Amino acid sequence: MADLAELRGMIETALPGAEVEVLDETGGGDHLRAIVSAPQFEGLKRLDQHRLVRAAVKERFDDGAIHALSITTSVPRST
Amino acid sequence: MAANPELREQLEQAISANKVLLLMKGTPDMPRCGFSMRTVAVLEQMGVEYGAIDVLPVMGPLREVTAEISDWQTFPQVYIDGELVGGCDIVEEMFESGELADALGVPQPETAETQMPANATEAGLPAQSPPMQIET
Repeated sequence: MADLAELRGMIETALPGAEVEVLDETGGGDHLRAIVSAPQFEGLKRLDQHRLVRAAVKERFDDGAIHALSITTSVPRST
Repeated sequence: MAANPELREQLEQAISANKVLLLMKGTPDMPRCGFSMRTVAVLEQMGVEYGAIDVLPVMGPLREVTAEISDWQTFPQVYIDGELVGGCDIVEEMFESGELADALGVPQPETAETQMPANATEAGLPAQSPPMQIET
C-alpha cells in the first residue's frame, strides 16, 4: 500500500520547484497516477521526463508498494 | 549479470528492421494487458504499419535486454526509427499533442484535436511488417 503523501514528497525532493499531484486511480493504493509539472523537464524528451519521475519513486517500486504508476508530465508555463 | 546476448541481438534486429516496433503483452488482435491494448489503439488510429512482438513468452529475459539497451523495463514499449519513444502514457500524450504524428511523419488523425503538421505532405508509407514472435 503506497503512501500518496510520501510519494509526492519523494518527487518534490527529486525535482525541487515541481508541482506534484499523486492520485490513487483505482482506490486500491497500488495503481497510481503522478501528475508532475517541473522546470527540470524543459528541453527533455518525454521519456526522460518520465524517467526522472520514476527514478524519484524507485524505492517504492522496488519494495512493491507501487505496482503501476501512470505519469503525466509537463513543463510549467513561464509567468 | 548481462542480458541474454542472443535475445538482445534478436531485439536489436527487430528494432532496426521496423520503422515502428511495439513490444506488447499479447498480440494486436488479442492484447493481454490494458496498457498494451491502448497503445495498439493509438498506433491503429495513426494508420501506420508496425511490427509487434508479444513479450509474454520471454518477459523476464526481455526486460533485462530493454533495461540494457533502452534503460526501460516496463511493457508496452514503442520504438520509432530505432529509438524508444515510450510506453502507453507517453504514446498517448504524444498522440494528443501531435508529437506522435510528427515522429511518425504522418498527418494527425482528424479525431485528435490538434493541427495538421506542416510537413504532412511528406508522409511516406512505412515498410510492411507482419507481427513477429521471439522464440527461445
